[in-house]
Amino acid sequence: MSVFITSTGHHLPGPPIANDEIENVLGLIHGKPSRLKKKILRANGIVTRHYAINAQHETTISNERMAALSARHCMANAPLPLKRIQMLSCATSQGDRVLPGFASMVQAELGIEETEIHSAHGICSSSLMAMKAAYLNLLCGEHDNALVVASELASRLFKASRYEVLAEGKNADFNAEFLRWMLSDGAGACLLESKARGRCFRIDWIKSFSHANAYPVCMSVGMPTDATDQRSWQDFPTYTEAEQAGALLLRQDVRLLDNVVKVGVDGFLKLIEDGRTQPEDIDHVLCHYSSDHFRSRIFELLIQAGAAIPEHKWYSNLYTRGNTGCASIFIMLDEFRRTQRYEAGEQILCMVPESGRFNVAFMKLTVVDG
Amino acid sequence: MQESQLNKHAQRCLQKLLRIWFDFERKLNHVPILERLERGAFTQEDYLSMLLNLRQQVIEGSRWITRCASSFDRDFSDVRSSVIGHARDEHRDYEMLEQDYVRTGGTLHDIQSAERNAGTEALHAFLMYRASQKNPYDLLGAMWIIEGLGEKMAKSWAQSITERLGQDHCSVDFLRYHSENDDAHMQKLHTLLDRLCTEEHHIVTICRTATVVSKLYLMQLEEIDEK
Repeated sequence: MSVFITSTGHHLPGPPIANDEIENVLGLIHGKPSRLKKKILRANGIVTRHYAINAQHETTISNERMAALSARHCMANAPLPLKRIQMLSCATSQGDRVLPGFASMVQAELGIEETEIHSAHGICSSSLMAMKAAYLNLLCGEHDNALVVASELASRLFKASRYEVLAEGKNADFNAEFLRWMLSDGAGACLLESKARGRCFRIDWIKSFSHANAYPVCMSVGMPTDATDQRSWQDFPTYTEAEQAGALLLRQDVRLLDNVVKVGVDGFLKLIEDGRTQPEDIDHVLCHYSSDHFRSRIFELLIQAGAAIPEHKWYSNLYTRGNTGCASIFIMLDEFRRTQRYEAGEQILCMVPESGRFNVAFMKLTVVDG
Repeated sequence: MQESQLNKHAQRCLQKLLRIWFDFERKLNHVPILERLERGAFTQEDYLSMLLNLRQQVIEGSRWITRCASSFDRDFSDVRSSVIGHARDEHRDYEMLEQDYVRTGGTLHDIQSAERNAGTEALHAFLMYRASQKNPYDLLGAMWIIEGLGEKMAKSWAQSITERLGQDHCSVDFLRYHSENDDAHMQKLHTLLDRLCTEEHHIVTICRTATVVSKLYLMQLEEIDEK
């Protein structure tokens, strides 16, 4: 039994936003331009991205709606009608509602009847968690098809007003502002089937390795700015007080970030050691690195290990589509499928290192003709 | 270093060594004194005990390296030269460490009269045992871990310690020196790996020694809090 990705799709909201337009959308914190913006943008190399909010800070499209549009885009050219989807597996780091699960909301948007649903929760790697759940369901014969959708609407967290409500005298710290210049919105989808259809991708395996036991939290929402205050946002008497304490800001502990490269390379070396892949067998690498800076760090370490994959085999659309968290890898795979050259028998390695608490996920595909 | 410069056994060995290193580095996060350094609860007393405990390993370090050099026979005279050079570079390092100890508020008498902790004792005994074997090529695994600490960790430790204790209240010359110089040592190590790791069983032995040294090194650091 094999499982194939027979179609893909994406949705990127609104027009592409250039670097000098970002603050027109997200706003100026206390009316002042950011002093960090240029430095962070130079390091991540992103040139354009998309936002699901407008300059008035109104949400122009919900997260679940973006997810549904990427799913419809995926199904538009598939010979399978949407209503025959047997499983819907979804990922997001934050749905429009805290509850119920994201997949319920996406199912309702799509109007699919009586499907089995699965919601994967996490950050960047949750898309491959959702993919793995669907993949295994098909692999063991439980279903013949599944739709996997990952969507992110992070910009709502980056509106200037989110930083302006901090208690008096408190400014947004570097770690809280960092991701404002990194993340943006979008959704991606993949159709999985137990039969190959035309030129498509066979899933050879999906593996992930989490190192949460070994490292502190690196990217999170829910804890106040003051690191000695151990209260979760839900422990404050009111959400207003939690917000004033900075507990609702999305934060990245940048000092720990380099470890994400190490766990990524470690995972790849483990896959080589376990005989799952060899660097010379890989024809295309689709790696969700959050920033151009980390791309060169990954290269350095792979060269050091003698496990480098030549640069021309690496594909990414980070620079024009932005870093859309868990949606990135599907948006990348979709654009790769539609725009790049690949031949039957070629192997594709997808890689998603997540900084949240250091999970790294891999998926290997082989191009086949059905 | 580019991959093409290594033979295929050395290359596979390097991949395994890198994984042993990553595992070691993750386990370092659980060493209590380093965990305190990470979360900003590190005190001057912590730094003094860190130096006091490290000094015993550093001073013994040059002994196992020179023993290792003398255990290589005539077929490996080039390796012997390289290892002797390395030992010469480092055999007075402990003096720099002692100066840091005194500048941070300790006394020379205290650091010089300290006993080896249980981890240092075990680490030193293992290294001397391996160094006494004929042609102890597996000690490349030991150098990988110990030089790796200098190359990969010393800089961030020096930085965190200075941030935490303040520039005027501590001296971190020993850690700084290693972070600046161990990069060249790592290059030499790659060359030695290419020279010495030429068969499958070499990979196994080098990696086993690297693993043992990483475990004993962790024990040495954990023992700092035992006193």
